Amino acid sequence: MAQVMKNQGKVLPDDDSADLREIGFRSLDFSELALRVEDETGDELNFDAPGLRQIATVGDVLDFLLQLQSE
Amino acid sequence: MSAGEDNRIVASGRRLTWRELPLADLPSPVAVLAATGLDALVAARQHAVQGTELVLSTPTRVDPELRDELADAGFTVVRLDDGDVTVVEKGRQRAAEPERLWLLTSGSTGRPKRVGHTLDSLTTVRGTQEPRTWLCPYSPGTYAWWQVVTLSLTQPGQDLVVIEPSQLDNWAQIASEHGVTAASGTPTFWRQAIYRDGEALARVPLRQITLGGEPVDQAILDQLREIFPAARISWIYASSELGASIVVHDGRAGFPREWLDRSAADRPSISVDGDELVIRSPYHGVGLTGAVRTGDRVEIIDGRVHIVGRLNSDEINVGGSKISAGLVRHVLTAHPQVAWARVTSRKAPIVGRMVQAEVVLAPTADRTVIDESALVKWCGDRLPDYGVPRRIRFLDEIPVKETLKSDV
Repeated sequence: MAQVMKNQGKVLPDDDSADLREIGFRSLDFSELALRVEDETGDELNFDAPGLRQIATVGDVLDFLLQLQSE
Repeated sequence: MSAGEDNRIVASGRRLTWRELPLADLPSPVAVLAATGLDALVAARQHAVQGTELVLSTPTRVDPELRDELADAGFTVVRLDDGDVTVVEKGRQRAAEPERLWLLTSGSTGRPKRVGHTLDSLTTVRGTQEPRTWLCPYSPGTYAWWQVVTLSLTQPGQDLVVIEPSQLDNWAQIASEHGVTAASGTPTFWRQAIYRDGEALARVPLRQITLGGEPVDQAILDQLREIFPAARISWIYASSELGASIVVHDGRAGFPREWLDRSAADRPSISVDGDELVIRSPYHGVGLTGAVRTGDRVEIIDGRVHIVGRLNSDEINVGGSKISAGLVRHVLTAHPQVAWARVTSRKAPIVGRMVQAEVVLAPTADRTVIDESALVKWCGDRLPDYGVPRRIRFLDEIPVKETLKSDV
């Protein structure tokens, strides 16, 4: 997630409760993060926008990706 | 006898003229799989002298399935190796069609297909030419190969230096030794020459440089201009089906918008339908009449019409916003430290598809500075956010196929 932010010229805050809108983490960034996870794990991730409604913070993103991988 | 009979040829380690080329004992119709560049020239001259109905290719480009298809269509498939003829597969009995030449298209969509031509329909340069020594790096029997070969066969003073596939890595040195003054190649071919050994390339006394076979971007034209300030640099849009249809000499990518929808009986007419290039050409293959949809996608930018890629693969839809892979590629190759780039789409959650790229950095690039972040920023400054490649893979070599293309 830090690399995704860095490529966009932004910095990932240390605080997991940081709000995604405030730090400028958008849907394109979320998609890119998913591709990076796919490349690391070799598994395709399948989810769409409605599944992200409850995701508001950095911590939510990380939890969501962990949950996807464990399914 | 053709007007180029006394032109000199360098091929497969031999120096001779067209007139001195031996004739081979070939049946007609015949599909010749030429083992060497010289064998391919023997087959071409045989056709020119005797009108043999001919398909010309190489052993590696014709797989067993295609061999069967050719035999079924009446062609006896032979291997021509250092002048020796070996029948590989006998063709179904049928009368030959004299003077007919068949080209196998590169088959970017499915199986290769045959396009009918004659030596005359393949000869697009007819005016008197200044004497030149041409490099022929193309694979025998392709449209681009025939363009260079017919020029030498039909025009006095047009000598030929044939490059074998095994010589592609050091063609510049060979071209220097033989005083090559004109060369035609794909943008990938030229990029690879600059990448491998720009100094060796600069020693070739080129006065005419031609690019074709792939989308041509401004970056490669500018790089060649810098190395060869006095040469004429041209790009050509040509295909097996339509022949050479667009020729641009002004050193700029794309062609002027004013060229669209002009008609003249003896010249190709060019138009755009939606974003597809449509051409009506006097040089087209047999059976093609009227306007032909090329399957190539165009973008009009600042009064120039740019051919950016294939219609079925160029447009990438990122969450409902559309971007041309060709334009993203042009942005990447415009970076001074990028030697080559390929841009494709990749399935991605939420947005459906995302832009990704493969890149070869210039040999002089500082790899500690030019990384994925640096190129993403370069693209971010020049493209909408949905067009920026989000995954960039770095390759060590420019990939080139036998067609001198790299499927960009």
